[in-house]
Order: sequence, then structure tokens, then C-alpha cells
Amino acid sequence: MNTAAIDRLIPQRAPIQLVDELIEAEGDRAVCSYTVPVGSLFIEEDGLLAEVGLIEHIAQSASALAGHKALLAGASEPPVGYIGEVKHFRCFRRPRQGDVLLTTVTMGPEAEGVTLLTGETRVGDETVAATRLKILIRELR
Amino acid sequence: MTREEIVEQVNALLAGEFEVEANAFAPDANVKETLSLDSLSLVDLVALIQQTYKVKIPATELRSIQTFENLYDYIESHLPAK
Repeated sequence: MNTAAIDRLIPQRAPIQLVDELIEAEGDRAVCSYTVPVGSLFIEEDGLLAEVGLIEHIAQSASALAGHKALLAGASEPPVGYIGEVKHFRCFRRPRQGDVLLTTVTMGPEAEGVTLLTGETRVGDETVAATRLKILIRELR
Repeated sequence: MTREEIVEQVNALLAGEFEVEANAFAPDANVKETLSLDSLSLVDLVALIQQTYKVKIPATELRSIQTFENLYDYIESHLPAK
């Protein structure tokens, strides 16, 4: 699956699209990748990815999983999701430009349209960030 | 696990998580109102029960859980067999 295909799964577009590829998806779990581009809007003055960029990347990875599941279920467009709450965000190291992020997201319980998910981002073998997010997902069709 | 143990443990869990005095948990009190749960925090209750008791509460079942008595009943009837 390439970037063209990711456009079918998530509504975000460049320059705020922060997922390149849905590498694998099974059940409520998915792995997505993103190479931090030089000159990204989310790069701060020190040349490192902003923490908010990491959170957005994890949220978009969850969105890719939701989009994948929606398309498998017959939807014509991916659902739109909103971050409702960020819980227990931990950033161990802000990624550099050119780093390849591999993020595993797992959908947890759902109540009244709010889904609790966990996300962990690695660069190579190093975990650089982890969080729990509450996502509101609105089906389009 | 007995009914009394479930009630005692659930009350302690909820009091700690949602910072409400456990003596406010009358069996017929409304769970959402007592714990001040809104549409964002309701999922925390579902996650807490699932994590602690391995009991999933589907959205359709959640609507039927109005009171603490309903919640204890649901957990008791869905506890995995040991």
C-alpha cells in the first residue's frame, strides 16, 4: 500500500498528512509508517518533530485503521475522526527529519461513539512515544 | 467472587478512578450522574471494567446499564468462568 492508497483511508492531505503507509491491519490492530520529511510543518526550530506532530501521527494511524475497516465494510469514503482527549502521552525522544516512524495502534473499548485507543511509535528498535487517545469517529456513508 | 465482593471492589475502583466518595453509590443511583460521566469519560468506565474483570460492555448493553445495581448485575453475570 503506497501514499496514493493511504489517501483512500484517511481524509488528511499534505502538508498535514502524517502517515505514508498502512503496513498491516488485523482486527483492531494496525501498523503504519511515516518518514519525517525535511521541512515538515511539524518540524520545530531545533530540527526535530514537534510532540504535537507525534500525537497527530498516532491519531492518523488510528484513522487509517478505521478507514481500512470502513472500506472493508463497504463504505465509499473513510470516516472522519476527531481527537477527543490525549491521555498519558509520553515522548521519549522527538524524531529527526528522515527518521522512519513505525506506529502500532490498537483500538480499545467504545462508548457512545468514543473509542479509546493505544498507540506506540518506534524508530528502529527504540520506542519514541506512546499514548492513549480518545477518538470520536463519524461515519460518512 | 461473591456479589458482596463485586460491589465492594467495583465501588472502590470507581471511587478511585472518578474521585467520588464510594458512599455516594446507592444501588439505585444513576451511574453517569453520580460519576459525572460525559460522552468522553464514559469510555473510561467501560475500559476500567474490561481491564479489571475481562468483561466487555458492548454499546448496546451499555445503554441498559443505568444504575449501580445494573452495573453489578452485568459484571456478575458476565464474569469469565475460572
